[in-house]
This record gives sequence, structure tokens and C-alpha cells, in this order.
Amino acid sequence: MVRAYNQEHVYRHPWDRVTTASWRKFTDPDTPAVLSHVLDVHTLSRRLDLAAGRLHTVRSITVRSPPLPFFLRRLVGAEAVVCHCVETSVVDPRARSMEIVAVNASLRGLIEVEERSSYRPHPDNPETWTIFRQETRIRCKPFKALAAVAGKVEQRCADRFQQNSVKGREFVERICKYLEAESSSSTAAAATR
Amino acid sequence: MGLTKGSPAAQCADLRSAYHDCFNRWFSEKFAKGQCDKEECVAEWEKYKACLLEHLEEKHLRNILLEAEGLSSSIKGDNVSR
Repeated sequence: MVRAYNQEHVYRHPWDRVTTASWRKFTDPDTPAVLSHVLDVHTLSRRLDLAAGRLHTVRSITVRSPPLPFFLRRLVGAEAVVCHCVETSVVDPRARSMEIVAVNASLRGLIEVEERSSYRPHPDNPETWTIFRQETRIRCKPFKALAAVAGKVEQRCADRFQQNSVKGREFVERICKYLEAESSSSTAAAATR
Repeated sequence: MGLTKGSPAAQCADLRSAYHDCFNRWFSEKFAKGQCDKEECVAEWEKYKACLLEHLEEKHLRNILLEAEGLSSSIKGDNVSR
């Protein structure tokens, strides 16, 4: 069984600011305090395709899982586990698109999570607003012994992913506001010069 | 043990910050605004990557790193045999 859900969010900030904030989401000095489930982020590969003008990046995102349900705790021998996710992204600034796919690299025998996200200019207000779309699919492997509880685990994971996604969105909003203030104060400074 | 398990390649944290700072600046000031004709932060990236190649032990992540470098096949010594 697959559990899937979609979400959308409108940022009232232009595309270049929101995508900048999205990169900073995991690398900001405040990240450990705000997104405490994120333990570590590394860039594993980056490639700038000069002909197409696109940036391809692969990052690893190491997260702490939510506290595991009792039966899994017995199985794994720990209250929570560390999980490595791999995030692949393509940014095309001429088309103003950013596409991100994140999958879990750990525990794939137990659960598969795939999160597809995109940032694009909002059709109603392309110069000043950005629309974020995200589709998350979660699938627990149907072990016979686990089948009865798999649904519960999926729901719990879905709840937690949604909570973390909201936290991440709020943080991107905060960084956008900060970037906005920074750019307007430098514009003001330039104007007075 | 717990620490290194939780954060792979903790030794590279400083080089990573230097790279990400450079990257974030380049992305916001140039790339996102459509100036995509030149690669920047190359020196920072090379240093950071060299550190990861040395210290990143988690198998799956390491494979991605090696694949991106085109090292995954040559490391098995296929090129050397004949």
C-alpha cells in the first residue's frame, strides 16, 4: 500500500529569493535549532551544465527518524534511527524552475519515501510570488509480520513528514524575509549614496 | 561511535561551511538572477570534495560520491589488469 499526499504553498517572494532560501534551509547556522531532525547535510556532486544553463546537484541529508513504534524498536534495537536521504536537484534560472527529488537511502527494506518538490513563479503573479508544490509517497514493505501494523507506521511517518515539511516551509519564509530586508536595506543605502 | 554514525564526515564541517557560504552567495547574487555562464567556488568545492573522499565512510553516500567522480569502476582496478 502506498500513502501519497500533495501540498502546495505560495511564497509572497520572487523565485530567485525563495530558491536562495531553499538552499539555505539546510546550511544556515540556525538550522540545527529550527530543524532538529536534520543531523547533517553534504553536497556529494555538483555539475553546472553551461550549455543548458542548468545546475545539477546531489546532496545527502542525514535525519533522525521519529521515535519508532514499539515493535520496530525491538527489531532495530534503538529508540530512533539515523536515516540517510539522497536529494537530487536541477535548477534552471532561465526557465525559473527548481525541481527536487529526495529519497531515503537507508532502511529501504522497510520503507520507501519519495518526495518530489518544485519551485516555480506563481502563474497569477510570476514576478513577485513563487509556488511550491510537493508530492510525497510513502510505502512500507509488506512483510507479512508487519502488514497489520504497516498502515499505522505509514500514517505516523506521513504525519511526521508533514510536520517537518511545515517547519521547513516556515523556515524558508523566515530566510526570505531576512533576504528581503537585506536587499531593501542595501538598495536604500545605494540610493542615499 | 554514535557521533560519527549520526554525522558522516564530521571532519569536513569547516570545509563544507566554506563551500556552502560561497555557493549560497554565488547562487543568490548571480545564478538565480540568470548569470549562469561561469562556474564559481571551484577551489572551495575541490577542497571539500577531497575531504569527503577521504572521510565519508557511509557506503551508499560514498558510492554516489565516487560515481560522480567517475571513480567507481577504476577503483576496482579494471583499467590496470590489461
